[in-house]
Amino acid sequence: MALQRQGLNLLRRISIHGTTFTNRTDVRSYKRWVAPTLKELNIRTKKIGDTGEVKPTPRSSFLEWNYDAEVFAFGKRLGEEFNQDLLRKALMHKSYVNLQELQGNAVQSDGNTDLIKKGEDIISKYIQLELSKKYPDVIVQAIHNYLTDDNMLSHVGVHIGLKDIILTPEYPPETATIANTFKAVVAALEESSSLENCEKFVKDFVLAQLNGKEVFDIWEPEQPYKYLKGIKSDIEPRLCNQSAAKTILANYQVGIYSNKQLLGLGWGESVDVAKDMAALNVIQKIYNIK
Amino acid sequence: MSSLKRVQQWATFARIWHIYDASWQNPFQSAGLLKKYLMGTYKPIYHPLNDCGDHVVVINSGDIALPGDEWKKRVYFHHTGYPRGASWTLAWQLHKKDPTLVLKKAVYNSMDGNLQRRYTMERLHIYPDANVPADIMKNISNQLATPREVPKRLDHYSEKEVEEFPKIMDYPKNYILR
Amino acid sequence: MVFTTAVNFIRSRGPDEFWRKRKIFKLAAHFQGRKRNCYSITIRYVHRALVYATKGRKLKKVDMANLWEQRILSGCEQHGVTYPLFKESLSRSGVMLNRKTLADLACWEPQSFKALTDIAQARAAQDGLNVSKSLEPPSGVVTRGMIK
Repeated sequence: MALQRQGLNLLRRISIHGTTFTNRTDVRSYKRWVAPTLKELNIRTKKIGDTGEVKPTPRSSFLEWNYDAEVFAFGKRLGEEFNQDLLRKALMHKSYVNLQELQGNAVQSDGNTDLIKKGEDIISKYIQLELSKKYPDVIVQAIHNYLTDDNMLSHVGVHIGLKDIILTPEYPPETATIANTFKAVVAALEESSSLENCEKFVKDFVLAQLNGKEVFDIWEPEQPYKYLKGIKSDIEPRLCNQSAAKTILANYQVGIYSNKQLLGLGWGESVDVAKDMAALNVIQKIYNIK
Repeated sequence: MSSLKRVQQWATFARIWHIYDASWQNPFQSAGLLKKYLMGTYKPIYHPLNDCGDHVVVINSGDIALPGDEWKKRVYFHHTGYPRGASWTLAWQLHKKDPTLVLKKAVYNSMDGNLQRRYTMERLHIYPDANVPADIMKNISNQLATPREVPKRLDHYSEKEVEEFPKIMDYPKNYILR
Repeated sequence: MVFTTAVNFIRSRGPDEFWRKRKIFKLAAHFQGRKRNCYSITIRYVHRALVYATKGRKLKKVDMANLWEQRILSGCEQHGVTYPLFKESLSRSGVMLNRKTLADLACWEPQSFKALTDIAQARAAQDGLNVSKSLEPPSGVVTRGMIK
């Protein structure tokens, strides 16, 4: 593929140079040379076994790469004032420092290990604080785990443009590395500005990942009816409706009552499923989950 | 998808089984009503490509009432495909052969002729009397209102009710009732 | 044809057959059997398909309008309002929603649609529109008549 693309570019250039005597580019017609040329190129590509796979090249290997400018632009892009030294420290991993020392290069930093630890604490504490205003502890813990998961944090990290400015031997950086760098960046921001500002940053980039998610997408009790029974003991399920009971598309509607008051409704393909779903509906109302 | 969303979907597309008592009903009027339930056009989620039609169990199709002299005048045409294979059957003859066919054909003809029609018809279960298999009876969860009220015949009134019915006048004593 | 250069005169023997046919074959890529492989048959079916596509552009609009009408109708039926009454009352109440939006509400937002039918019923009851059954204004709807 790569060869083919190069060949095509070459051909284009030649045809432009040829304009002086054949005046070909002025003619709007079928380019008859394209088909045979592509065929020939295809045959040659197959011959040398070029599979067309391109290994990802780090942006830093490009000629015009300017790390200082990139690091400076990183903070500006996010609208945050970073202390440049701290930010550089946050981006530099221990493994990178070790590698440089092995190669005999002098590095003034000793990696971002302590910043990672600090950032993790900040993110974790803030998320728990914010969520506990609204949800009970079980749900807070579940959502907290979901948000501080490596996959989630690295997703955020990649999309704020961390991938290319992390200093680490591996490329592309692993999920855990990106997640750790994100934590370190959060810590660097806290040290550069203030905790309040840093919390706003976490709110914007981490808490915002809950957008479009429902609590039950993230957390759901294993056995909802049993769980509900644990919260509220004086409940009883009643079969409210059923249809197509003898077919594969059976549908049941179960209501959960307490003191003759209907608390919640649930549907399902069997009475047990419907009972559990009704319990979920009640839990939704009790915990005020939207 | 959370499990609540899943069962919401399940309940939205649940098949409802309706029962319809065809006694004394006009099959052609009933066809328009049954069609709506069979195709699911009575649901706001209706779309020709989504499978939201319900089942309808029709009982007492033997007791349908055709309007006017349709029993005598309505003709069902059939052709075997061979020369001289045409046949014309009067409605009363067809009804005698199979008491479900008049209603079935009425529903079938009330729908547009597209690829869905035969599958929609599969959801219609017609029984000539009130004897419905128990398995099918267990599926039913709704009864459809009939457009016509079933009239009560004189022989269905008890003698006492007839006796007590307010009279306009008494027959003269010497009047002979045949 | 007039050619300004001698070179073009020599080279112009009509367009390249391969490219000319490829244009048609591309349109027929999803056909079955010889309809997609044999040019003389392909061109016939491609022409026919394009005619269908032209007609279909108009039919699609008609179909969609029918579907919207159907959905609104069934929504109205569920809440016991007739379609003409529903439209009349809504326009009297200054609810200027088109049929597409009403259909979307009926299908995806049944609660909002119920609110609209409530408004329609309340308006019909207030204006004394020709309704077969007497309508009680539903709870939760405040009309001007109630304020006086």
